[in-house]
Amino acid sequence: MDNKWEMLPSSSEDREKIWTKNRTFAGDVWFRFRRKPTAIAGFVLIVLLLLFALAGPLFTDYSYSVQNLEVVNIPPVMKVFDAPDGNGSLYITQGLKVLYVNPDGTLGDQLKKVREDSEMSMTIYDYNGAEVGLYYGQKPYVIADPATKVIYPSSTVRNASYLLGTDSLGRDILTRLMYGIRVSLLVAFIAAAVNMVIGVLYGGISGYLGGNVDTVLMRVVDIINTIPLTLYVILIVVLLGSGLQSIIVALGSVYWVDMARVVRGQVLSLKQQEFVLAAKTIGSSTKTILFQHLIPNAMGSILVTVTMLIPSAIFMEAFLSFLGIGLQPPLASLGTMCNDATANLRTCPYQMFIPALGICLIMFAFNFVGDGLRDALDPKLKK
Amino acid sequence: MSETAMLEVKNLTKHFKAGRGQVVHAVDNVSFVLKKGKTLGLVGESGCGKSSCARTVIRIYEPTEGTILLDGQDISHMKQRELKPLRRKMQMIFQDPYASLNARMTVRDIIAEPLLAHGVVKKKDQANELVYPMLERVGLTKEHANRYAHEFSGGQRQRVGIARALILQPELVICDEPISALDVSIQAQVINLLRDFQEEKGVSYLFIAHDLSMVRYVSDDVGVMYLGQLVEVCESGEIYKNPLHPYTKGLLGSIPIANPRLAREKEKSSIEGDIPSPIAPPSGCRFHTRCPFARPECGERAPVLKDVGGGHMVACHLYG
Repeated sequence: MDNKWEMLPSSSEDREKIWTKNRTFAGDVWFRFRRKPTAIAGFVLIVLLLLFALAGPLFTDYSYSVQNLEVVNIPPVMKVFDAPDGNGSLYITQGLKVLYVNPDGTLGDQLKKVREDSEMSMTIYDYNGAEVGLYYGQKPYVIADPATKVIYPSSTVRNASYLLGTDSLGRDILTRLMYGIRVSLLVAFIAAAVNMVIGVLYGGISGYLGGNVDTVLMRVVDIINTIPLTLYVILIVVLLGSGLQSIIVALGSVYWVDMARVVRGQVLSLKQQEFVLAAKTIGSSTKTILFQHLIPNAMGSILVTVTMLIPSAIFMEAFLSFLGIGLQPPLASLGTMCNDATANLRTCPYQMFIPALGICLIMFAFNFVGDGLRDALDPKLKK
Repeated sequence: MSETAMLEVKNLTKHFKAGRGQVVHAVDNVSFVLKKGKTLGLVGESGCGKSSCARTVIRIYEPTEGTILLDGQDISHMKQRELKPLRRKMQMIFQDPYASLNARMTVRDIIAEPLLAHGVVKKKDQANELVYPMLERVGLTKEHANRYAHEFSGGQRQRVGIARALILQPELVICDEPISALDVSIQAQVINLLRDFQEEKGVSYLFIAHDLSMVRYVSDDVGVMYLGQLVEVCESGEIYKNPLHPYTKGLLGSIPIANPRLAREKEKSSIEGDIPSPIAPPSGCRFHTRCPFARPECGERAPVLKDVGGGHMVACHLYG
């Protein structure tokens, strides 16, 4: 082709052809969603947390509820003293007992107490026939040879038995964290599902029917909205007794008001659009109009509202459990774990830090995903 | 007259409440007859009540007063449930091809919706037999069926809208400014498509537009609306040759003429001022506030639409 400006033969088929790739709405949203790094990070994080919470308990040897008072408050990184024979090491528990730690970091047995030497401020323990002394005369407590009074060299060792340590009742924090995140995600998804169903139907009906029905339904929403949410949830928990189901009932029965408002607003504006009028002139049923025209078009805002509502439901569950009116022991939730940790906050801050970090991660992840979804679903940002 | 009326509208009135007791007089006392297989064009400025009139006729809006006879049947106060079987007879093509198609549906689903709504087919996949020929009829192909509406150009979308309106083979199609949102190059394509259908199936059109030049091309009869009222109705050639109402003259004067020499010779008869508020329409003849020939009686007494000869109806005291 020498002449670049020569006209190409054109058929009518070419004229009507759509040259862009055939992409569904969901595909289009995914295309825009994945271009946002924070959104993808949040999405990956949620998937990892789900895997951790659902598959994790299969790989742990511990139960979330069985207590082991021999290994109370063991941190994830322990300060240990070398054993006299140089094989393995010794760890001083908070109860002033001595634990044998294997060379690979796993915890061994408690040493047997031989006698109390109050003159030297030492408790003498038996280590494979040799005597080792726990000196408690001044902090920090050390382990020394009672005969020579030489302190054994100390070092830090990662706790291989309990990767994230144990709590004040000797339960594995990693295992409890798995169950705690499980509870959080369960609350999140049930709250989301209940909100979707009630909020979308309520808002959809209110917006679609309009007029007096709308006025009455929206005043009900206003009334529910004026009651302080925390107080209301606490009242329901008190009424139904504490436990997971009452938290879910409480969250499900009030959190849908935001959703109902969003959906109503969307439906109100959508039902004036020509494609809905077209459906009416066609003679489509109300059901078709509501479920094929109005709600799919409001889906963007619905999804964003849900993902924004999930973190607040998770936070509410953690908050109630922290106050002690949520999940009851020995059930683990991120909130109850934080609550349990408050007693030992000074000596064992990791017990508070780990579940708190868990709450933060979940909330960040859902907020990022919500943010990303909002951008991806906003047609104005379409490229 | 030998031809039977497809649509007969008598004294149709539609008022909207505007809050604080105010009433918008969108359509006031409008009467017209649309014969079978013919096209009636309704023209007027923006806000003159053309669209409200169309939407009342197809019963998206409840008429305040008056009767609408569809093929001799009074549909003006039917319940939506009773109306549903009659909706097969009348369909509507909307103005904005971007807003009138659901962006979350494929073109196949959009065109199949009327078929499903009226039980012509029971399931979506059975609709293909009817949808594909229709798509080809409006110049699209099977491959377009799985595409979403937002992927199409304006002209293509409007043709999808036409396919949706025509798939039930209605006898009356109300076209609410079907070409005003399209490029000039596409307008002819859509108009020709509508005309072809009329020749094939004998569809009647109520064609609404604000552009007189296009209405001349499609309509058999033309009605001119001003502020909710019909001011002149006549056969479409006649209205261009011999416009009577001062408002019609003004409208015709506003059509640009391509030839500058002819344009210079053209009578300057543009209409001054803005359209008055339909909440408080002027007394007497509604056009008297802007009419260059207004007389004292125009502000006192409303003129009625009457035949001045040859089926040419005009509502003006000048022709009393």
